[in-house]
Amino acid sequence: MVRTEELLLNVGPQHPSTHGVFRVVVKLDGEVITEATPVMGYLHRGTEKLAEDLTYTQIIPYTDRMDYVSAMTNNYVLVNAVEKLMQIEIPERAQFLRLIVMELQRIASHMVWWGTYLLDIGAMSPFLFAFRDREQIINLFNELSGARLTYNYMRVGGVKWDAPDGWIDKVRRFVSYMKEKLEEYHALVSGNEIFLSRIKGVGKYSAQDAIDFGLSGANLRCTGVKRDLRKDEPYCIYDRFEFDVPVGTNGDCYDRYMVRLEEMRQSLRILEQAVEQFPEGGEIMGKVSRVIRPPAGEIYAAIESPRGEIGCYIVSNGKDKPYRLKFRRPSFVNLQILPKLLVGETMTNLVTILGSIDIVVGEVDC
Amino acid sequence: MKGLIKGLGVTFKNMTKKKVTYAYPDVPIEMPERFRGIQHLDPEKCIVCNQCARICPTECITLVGKPNPDPEKKVKVLDTFDINFEICILCDLCTEVCPTEAIVMTRNFELSTYSRDDLMKDMQWLYGNNTNVRKENNAATAKGGAK
Amino acid sequence: MGDLLHENLSWRLVGIFSFWAAVMMVIVLVFVTYAIYFERKVIGWMQARKGPNRVGPLGLLQTVADVLKLLIKEDTIPKKADRPFFILAPVIVFVPSFAVIATIPFAENLYHASLNVGMLYYAALSSISTIGIVLGGWASNNKYALLGGMRSAAQMISYEIPLVISVVGVIMMTGTLNLHTIASAQAGGFWHWNFLPQIVGFIVFIIAAVSELNRTPFDLPEAESELVAGYHVEYSGFRFAFFMLAEYVYVFAIASLATVLFLGGWDAPLPFLNFIPGIVWFILKFASFVFFLFWIRATFPRIRIDQLMGLGWKVLLPLALINIVITAVYMEIAK
Repeated sequence: MVRTEELLLNVGPQHPSTHGVFRVVVKLDGEVITEATPVMGYLHRGTEKLAEDLTYTQIIPYTDRMDYVSAMTNNYVLVNAVEKLMQIEIPERAQFLRLIVMELQRIASHMVWWGTYLLDIGAMSPFLFAFRDREQIINLFNELSGARLTYNYMRVGGVKWDAPDGWIDKVRRFVSYMKEKLEEYHALVSGNEIFLSRIKGVGKYSAQDAIDFGLSGANLRCTGVKRDLRKDEPYCIYDRFEFDVPVGTNGDCYDRYMVRLEEMRQSLRILEQAVEQFPEGGEIMGKVSRVIRPPAGEIYAAIESPRGEIGCYIVSNGKDKPYRLKFRRPSFVNLQILPKLLVGETMTNLVTILGSIDIVVGEVDC
Repeated sequence: MKGLIKGLGVTFKNMTKKKVTYAYPDVPIEMPERFRGIQHLDPEKCIVCNQCARICPTECITLVGKPNPDPEKKVKVLDTFDINFEICILCDLCTEVCPTEAIVMTRNFELSTYSRDDLMKDMQWLYGNNTNVRKENNAATAKGGAK
Repeated sequence: MGDLLHENLSWRLVGIFSFWAAVMMVIVLVFVTYAIYFERKVIGWMQARKGPNRVGPLGLLQTVADVLKLLIKEDTIPKKADRPFFILAPVIVFVPSFAVIATIPFAENLYHASLNVGMLYYAALSSISTIGIVLGGWASNNKYALLGGMRSAAQMISYEIPLVISVVGVIMMTGTLNLHTIASAQAGGFWHWNFLPQIVGFIVFIIAAVSELNRTPFDLPEAESELVAGYHVEYSGFRFAFFMLAEYVYVFAIASLATVLFLGGWDAPLPFLNFIPGIVWFILKFASFVFFLFWIRATFPRIRIDQLMGLGWKVLLPLALINIVITAVYMEIAK
């Protein structure tokens, strides 16, 4: 009697392509996946619980470590929520510094995504090119804030350090360098027929699905829905700069790829304008008391991180420590569509689809 | 076909460009001025105000003060000061709040040891760690900013 | 060497042949060592970094260190594995790779044997390695190794057919299967070399060769980011080194075959450069083919298994067959 059985396979917590300690339990019928269940929590560190016992300034280093690939946006989401609750004025120079730093971070994060995605697909060189160029951004951040990955740079009311001499010129030079490099990335990969045949038509979902699952960022824009928090609910000084929001049409991996690369180009555009308009002098810290005590109340403030919409919900009862702090993490929400996308795919496409959703497990688990 | 050939062109041209390999550890890496490395402590300057221990997000600083040996002065003096480098995240908040700049960061970052016990550094060691000391330290507090 | 082959067999002859076979073995091993080193160096340069440069001067002893590490590892054989086959599989994969080098002519007078069926000998022996791979996958008693071995065998069988058929055009033009004659027939400058009239065959040959060698972009059986690891997942230490050695010796064999069949063997590109000995030209062409293989590895992503089978059967095979038809028609018209 010949009998086929369903195979239960563990794409284990340790795996080169799951971008961190993340587990997917798949039921295989031959080579085809019939059911996939993500299991997360291997990197849970209890940030939200710890935050109930820390003052707002002390929470900032913890936010760095949530989405470690784009730490500046994490810093900003917390600081922004507190500032909105306390209605603090931020000085002009601090706003500009924050904007420049966040856009540079967006480019760096997309570079990490690009390099590792192509490494999963099998090309080894783009990984090194992406990291070579990202090294320049990291060195800029090193000069600005003193650290390469976990910056602890923003404070409630402004930023901690002012830009050192010559830093803005370095940013300007980086922008022109990066424009050439972006063309090189396109020449190396985007036209490659092998690559295109691997990602076109894979992992498709409709705009209605995307909205139902609560996706955000490039995962939502690839289906044609034009939603970018920098344009729809402007924060910081984004409303002063001209930039486009790239939108895809089909909702497959190829569109997500192209949307992210276009976002890098638009970030470079914003950076150019910001560096032109950078104010000469000014304070980097607003009028804030030594002890930060937001009034009792609650607030949810969201911004556009490279992965999607990241939000911070604070319930304050008037003390210097929050009563409850919750982060709406984009990777956690974006991951919910994975079981639906994987049904009917082969194992090879699992890696392609998981990579294109762009998750960072530190953010999934918090 | 065209995409494949363009890709080949890009990798070929990269062969002639400059290599970005650092020759570390043969050549030490120069970190920029503001780099947050291992702390340096000057016990003379410390006034035992406990701000650093209170602001530390991971509670890795423990310090004990003792009454001043000089009967004229009222200010306490440091008896012991330990930083547990197993949990110190080099976040720089302690140097930000120190009113006398007794604790400052250096640009050293090599802290690997063979045993975890060696990672609890005491006052002696922190005082001795005095190369590459960072000059600018309290940016936010100097402007009267947040705690 | 040709005269020695015509003499009657005697102990002296056996001694001479064994000696030259051992010399060839040493040359091939040195090639493998430095091919691995140069692969890592070249791929490093293409990625804006230096390759290995710490072990030995300029990192030249890197492969020696790696092989030493593999040799001193524990020789693990899984408990339920099929012991005789487990031990036999690497041998079956390696021996044909070395045996096919016997028919390849490196220069006018440098060859081991000038078989009249040289090309057929090559094609036949290189197929035996596939048996070794399936055997290794089966004997490991690991369902992933078995799946990986099956996949790899399917890939290698599907691409051997276009490989051999693409060469038929060259054989028709030269009229013989003897590799030495094929190389000599291309004498007189690069416009006589076979890659120009047989350009379609050459391209099919290159693609099929890269797939036969299980290299990127066709390295699905060895891909680490896929779930199913290759057929050699249970092998460690020296047995694993054997599989890797077999792959690089095949690189040597296929590169030499490509040089002999399509790039003119030991012929100089321009006739007046004939004062440089033929072996130097052979080495230069061979080295550029191997460099091309490294270049492809650094640049391209991996092809999926279903696209790979589709490419082999639906694109390369018809192209190779069309190449034969065109060659036949052309030869009739040109007569």
